[in-house]
Amino acid sequence: MALLDVENLEISIRFGHELLPVVRGVSFSVDENETLGIVGESGCGKSLTALAIMGLLEGSGVRVTGGRMRFGGRDLLAMSADERRHIMGNDMAMIFQEPMTSLNPVYRVGDQIIEALQQHRNLSRRAARRRAIELLDLVRIPEPDSRVDSFPHQLSGGQRQRVMIAMALSCDPKLLIADEPTTALDVTVQKEVLDLMLDLQKRTGTAIILISHDLGVIAETCNSVAVMYWGRLVETAPTDALFETLAHPYTRGLLHSIPAIDRDVDWLDAIPGRVPTIGEQIAGCPFHPRCPRAESRCRHEVPQPREIAPGHLVECHFPYGGDR
Amino acid sequence: MMAVASIRSVFAGRTFAQIGLVWLAFVALAAIFSPLIAPFDPYEIDPIARLTEPGWPHLFGTDHFGRDSFSRALYGARMTVLIGLGAVIVALLTGGLVGMLSAYFTRLGHVLMRGVDVLMAFPALLMALVLMTLLERSVMNTIIVIGVVYATTTARILFGMTLKLKGEVFVDAAVCSGAGHASILFRHILPNLVSPLLVQASFIFAFAQLQAAALDFLGLGLPPEVPSWGNMLSEERIYVTRAPWLLIFPGALIILSVFSMNLVGDAMRDSIDPRFKDDIAGV
Amino acid sequence: MSAQPLLDVRDLKVHFRTRGRTVRAVDGVSFDIAPGEVLGLVGESGCGKSTVGRALTQLERATAGQALFEGQDILSMSRRQFLPLRRHIQMIFQDPYASLNPRLTVAQTLSEPLFIHKIARSRKDAQARIAETLDLVGLGPEAMTRYPHEFSGGQRQRIGIARVMILEPKLVIADEAVSALDVSIQAQVLNLIKKLQRDSGMAMLFISHDLGVVRHISDRVAVMSAGKIVETGDKSAIFEAPQDAYTRRLLDSIPRIMPLKETS
Repeated sequence: MALLDVENLEISIRFGHELLPVVRGVSFSVDENETLGIVGESGCGKSLTALAIMGLLEGSGVRVTGGRMRFGGRDLLAMSADERRHIMGNDMAMIFQEPMTSLNPVYRVGDQIIEALQQHRNLSRRAARRRAIELLDLVRIPEPDSRVDSFPHQLSGGQRQRVMIAMALSCDPKLLIADEPTTALDVTVQKEVLDLMLDLQKRTGTAIILISHDLGVIAETCNSVAVMYWGRLVETAPTDALFETLAHPYTRGLLHSIPAIDRDVDWLDAIPGRVPTIGEQIAGCPFHPRCPRAESRCRHEVPQPREIAPGHLVECHFPYGGDR
Repeated sequence: MMAVASIRSVFAGRTFAQIGLVWLAFVALAAIFSPLIAPFDPYEIDPIARLTEPGWPHLFGTDHFGRDSFSRALYGARMTVLIGLGAVIVALLTGGLVGMLSAYFTRLGHVLMRGVDVLMAFPALLMALVLMTLLERSVMNTIIVIGVVYATTTARILFGMTLKLKGEVFVDAAVCSGAGHASILFRHILPNLVSPLLVQASFIFAFAQLQAAALDFLGLGLPPEVPSWGNMLSEERIYVTRAPWLLIFPGALIILSVFSMNLVGDAMRDSIDPRFKDDIAGV
Repeated sequence: MSAQPLLDVRDLKVHFRTRGRTVRAVDGVSFDIAPGEVLGLVGESGCGKSTVGRALTQLERATAGQALFEGQDILSMSRRQFLPLRRHIQMIFQDPYASLNPRLTVAQTLSEPLFIHKIARSRKDAQARIAETLDLVGLGPEAMTRYPHEFSGGQRQRIGIARVMILEPKLVIADEAVSALDVSIQAQVLNLIKKLQRDSGMAMLFISHDLGVVRHISDRVAVMSAGKIVETGDKSAIFEAPQDAYTRRLLDSIPRIMPLKETS
C-alpha cells in the first residue's frame, strides 16, 4: 500500500446555495522516495487538491465532497480534527509559492523554525536552536549560525524558500507538498532549490508532491506525472512514458505550447481557445472544445480513465498512440 | 460607476445599514417637502402656547417662544441636508483637488501636503470655532467652514489613493499612448476614485452634522432664528428640566441621522475596492 | 552593421536614489536595433532589463547616456518634445489585469491614442480603425463596448497589443508581454506577436526572463546581469555557443524535457 492514496477525490465550491464540483474523479498515489508532479494551468484544481490533502480547505467555502484519501493506511477524511492536525504537523508539510508571505516578517527566521520544532517535538529551546541551525545548514544557507538570527526581509528570495523548506522538514515529514515552490524564483535559483529538494529526498526518503505549471520543472524532478485540466486528471503516467507517448491531446498541446530553448520553430503549435473558468458547464469531455481530435462522441460522453500501458492512465476517447 | 445594481448588492444582508438608509430617506423627504408637510410656520411666535407638552396639534410640543417644534424639526432636516451636502462639496472640491494634485505633481505635493499636515494638527472643532469667530453667522459661512475643516482629511486620503493609482500599470500605459497630465488625472485616475469618494462623502456628511450641531450649540453656527436641530438644542437648553422634550427630540434626530449615515458609510466602505479600504478610516 | 539602426542605445544608465543609497539599476548599457529586427533582452529579476524599457519610453528618467531613435536622442527630450515620437515607440506591458483602465470600455481605451496623435479624423473613422485592429489581434467588434473585467487574461493582453498596434509603431517594447499568461494562452499570444511583427515590419525590444520565449521570438539576443549587458549576439550564437559564463549558467539552469519521439 502506498503512503498516500487518493481515490476519486471530489472538491466543491459553494456558490450561493449550490455546491459546484471543481475537482472530480482525481485518483493517484505517492510512495516513499517518490516524487509525483501535478501539472496544469491556472484554475485546473491542482492547488485545491494539495490543500485538500493537507486538510487546509476547511472554512474557506470549499470542501471535499467525495472520494477517499488514505495516508499510511488511515482514512484522512474519517479522522477527527485533532488527529488531522497532528498528522499535518508531524507527517505532512507544505511549502508555498511565495515564501515571503508564508514567513512572519516580524520574527527572526530561527525563532520561526524553533517554534515549529517545539510545537511538534519535545525539545528544549537550546536543543531546538541547535537543530534549527542544522536545518539551515541542511538547506545550504551560508553561515547558518548567524543567519538563524536574520529577519525574513534580510534574506534573498531563494534563501527564504530554503528557510521554508527547512521549516517544512523540521519534523521529518513523510510527505512534502510543494505548491509552485520555484515559480517566484529566478531560473538559476530554481535549479538550486529543486536540486536541494531532491537531494533531501535521497537522504530522508520523503515522498514529494510537486505542483507546477511548468512541464520542464516536472520533467526534470518527478518520477511520475499527473496532468490536470479543468478539475480532472486527464493523464497519469511515469514521467518517461508520459513524455514519450503524450497520449492525451492536452498533454501534447501543453508541451507544444512551450517554446524550446534548444531548437527553433517558426510557429508554436498552440492549443486554440481559452482555459475554461470554474463555473462553466461543458458537456462530454472537458477538453473537446479545444481538441484537434474531438469527434461527436467527445461532445456527449465524458471519457473514463483507462490504462493504455501499465501505470499509464488516460481520460480520452481517442488518445494518441491508442487504437482508434 | 456605482450602478443601481451594485447599490443593491452593497446593502444586501445588512439590516442595520438598510434601516439607516430608510431613515436617511425620511430625512431627505422631510427636507424636500417641509414647506408642504409642516403643520405650522416654524418662525411663527405664539406667546400664549409657550412650552406646550408634546401632543395634538403640537406633536413635538412648542419652545419658549411658542414656536411649533415639529415644524422646526422638519425645517431642521432641510438645514441638515443643506449643510451636509454643502460641506461635502466644499471638502471634496478643495481637499480633493489639493490631494490629487499633490500626489500627481510630486514637488507641488511636498509644499501643499506640509500645509495640510499643519492644519491637521488642530482639532477639527477648534479650527471651526476659530474660523467662525472671524466670520459672520450665516448658512453659507457655516458650510464653508465645515467644508474647509474636512478638506484637510479629504486631501490626505485622496493623496494616498491617487499615489497608489499613479503607480498603476494602466497609468503608465496611458503615458505611453501620449496622454497629457489633465487626461491622466481626470480620465484615468479620477473615475477610479469615484466609489471611495462616495464613501468618504458619506462620512463627511455625518461628521458635518455633528460639527454643525456643535457650532450651533456654542452659538457660533447658524443665526439663532434659523430652524436647525443644533439651534433647537442650543436655544432651549436652559429649559432642560421644565421641558425636556425640547432637547430630546432634536437630540434624537441628530443621533439617528449621524448613526444612519455612518452605517451606510460602513456598508459602502466594505464593498469597495480593497486597495482603498485602509485609506478611508473615518474622518 | 551597414544600415542605420532604428534605435541606438549608448551607455544608458539609470540610477535610483533611495534613502541615501544609489541603486545602479542600469549601469552602462549599449545596444542597437535595426528596422524590423527583434532584439531579445533577457536576464533574471532585478537585473535592470525592465528599467531599460521604461527609460526608452520615458517612464523612467535616464541618468546618463543616449538613445538615438532615427538619429534623435530621445532621452534628452522633454515630455512635450517626446510626445510626437510616442506614436512610433510603443510598449506592451506584462500584467494584462493591471494594464487596462477598468473604468474605460475597450473602444475608449483604443480611441485614446488615435485622438492624441490625430490619426483618426472623426468618430466614425476611429470606430473603423478600432474594429480593424481588434480583428488583427483576433477579437470581434463586439468587444468594443465591453469593459476589461469581461475578458480573460489572454484576451486582455490582445487588447493591450491592439492599443499598441493601432498606432502602427516602428518600435515596440514588449516587457514580459507573455509572462503572466497560462502556457497554452502564452503560445497563442506569442504567435500573434510574431505574426504582427512580421506583417508590419516593426522592430521590437522583447524583454523577458524566459529564455525559450526569447529564443522563439528574437533575431538577436542581449543577456543582462546586474545592470550590464554581458553578451550580445545572434540567437543561434547565444543559445548554441554562449561565450559568457553567466549566459552558460543561465542556459544550464533551465529544466529540459527529454527528447521526445515525434509521433504525430
